[in-house]
Amino acid sequence: MFTKIVRAGQVVFLRIEDLLNKIFSSEQNILYYHGAMPNFFMWILFLSGLLLFAYYMPTLEGAYQSVEYITQKIPFGDMIRGIHRYAADAMLITVILHAVRVYFTDRYREYRIIAWYSGIALVFMMTFIGISGYILVWDERSYQIVTMTRDFLAAFPIWGDSWAHAFINDEAISNYTMAMSFFIHTGTSFALLVMLWIHYMRISRPVVNVTWALGCLLGGLVLLVSGIYPATSGPEAVLIQTPTYFDMDWFYLWIFPVMKSIGYGWTWIALTVATLFVIFLPNFVDSRDDEPASVDKDKCVGCKLCSVDCPYEAIYMAPRTDGSKFKEIAVVIDARCAECGLCVGACNFDAIELPAHISHDYMKDIRVNLEAAA
Amino acid sequence: MSDKKKVVVIACERSVNLDKELEGSHGANLKGVDNAYVVQVPCSGIIQPRMIESAFDDGADGVIAMGCQIGDCHFREGNKFCRERILGLRPPVIKKTVPKNRLEGLWMSEPQVETFKDRVRDFQDRVASELEKEGASAS
Repeated sequence: MFTKIVRAGQVVFLRIEDLLNKIFSSEQNILYYHGAMPNFFMWILFLSGLLLFAYYMPTLEGAYQSVEYITQKIPFGDMIRGIHRYAADAMLITVILHAVRVYFTDRYREYRIIAWYSGIALVFMMTFIGISGYILVWDERSYQIVTMTRDFLAAFPIWGDSWAHAFINDEAISNYTMAMSFFIHTGTSFALLVMLWIHYMRISRPVVNVTWALGCLLGGLVLLVSGIYPATSGPEAVLIQTPTYFDMDWFYLWIFPVMKSIGYGWTWIALTVATLFVIFLPNFVDSRDDEPASVDKDKCVGCKLCSVDCPYEAIYMAPRTDGSKFKEIAVVIDARCAECGLCVGACNFDAIELPAHISHDYMKDIRVNLEAAA
Repeated sequence: MSDKKKVVVIACERSVNLDKELEGSHGANLKGVDNAYVVQVPCSGIIQPRMIESAFDDGADGVIAMGCQIGDCHFREGNKFCRERILGLRPPVIKKTVPKNRLEGLWMSEPQVETFKDRVRDFQDRVASELEKEGASAS
């Protein structure tokens, strides 16, 4: 059953891909840049965030006013704010596309498991950044986010009160709360880069940049949306008044309606179960038998071509100690090998082979067929 | 026996879905296309230049290397590398003695079965005219 769903999803993706190839050509097909697109939006966010950072004041008195100042007084301030707001949504949308696609095309497990786990961590980090970003505006929605997050953390069975206290950063909501939110917002953004480095591990030559044309298209879309629906604040938060305004951003703030409808305890349970489900998703599928590429040390001349071409950084060159006239030998790291055979195609000396797919057997097949036809 | 030119297709098993399209004693004859033989490999990136050379040596009139659409390799870069080797841009490149006019790279996805067969038939016709040209220049 499980495999059938995955297969159906894969065929759907291939059909969409064909269509997009006809429209955009394969060089500009957005499905071939599903990993580069979030990266593109991330750099837009860093850049626009830097501009907002210059005028923003993380205090209870100053936050709302400074955001209004940026929006109304700074040239193009409203545009920068809109870009920062909508690029964040675009980033999460493309991340979801990326995750769904790698799942259905079966490119997320075994030799790619590091990317799967670090990807889950990246989504969590993005959600922290997004939620803390909505606190910084300090309108009535921000106030509700702070109180609900505090209560949500307090409901955690282990050290709940300490988590809540660490988040509020004081006995009650104060300027230190704003400082903490600002720290979570920017600090996690930089930590995101470290996690991204882990995300790219074991991927030779990752595709991290979109083409110029796609960059213009995606950037233009964000600009267009921020022009049509300008990012605005609700009424300023006043600590002695009960806040009512809550404009939804379903990509980052979805958890708050969930908390409201099922309660904090159940939200914790649901969140834990969902996270564990995603973490263990690769384990629901049987992995195949491992038959990694093997190097014939008598034939290897140390030309490095296989180690350069390996798309998963599974081959490295080691110095030879067996008295051969060649200086280096290719060594396969079995756990990283995807058994794709790219190294076989790169070797002109028959020195590396996949035990399950010997290249000479293929040549023999070809010969047998041609002889039968003659 | 058909007079169609003998074509060997070295195909990535993840590109055009040929599960129901192969027949014959060795299970390599492409249904509906005479004299076309398919050998399936895990990825087009595994295709060594020597595999193509040996197919010509064994009497193939034309060779097609087929992988998935460029940009969508399951193993990230296999089809790109295979294409570059055919074009002579990536080592190891194909020997100069290999008749490059009778060698083709096809980059297609799983559902494109019929398009694939059409392309093979077109290729056979092109190989025939190339062979005629070669014969004319040799004599």
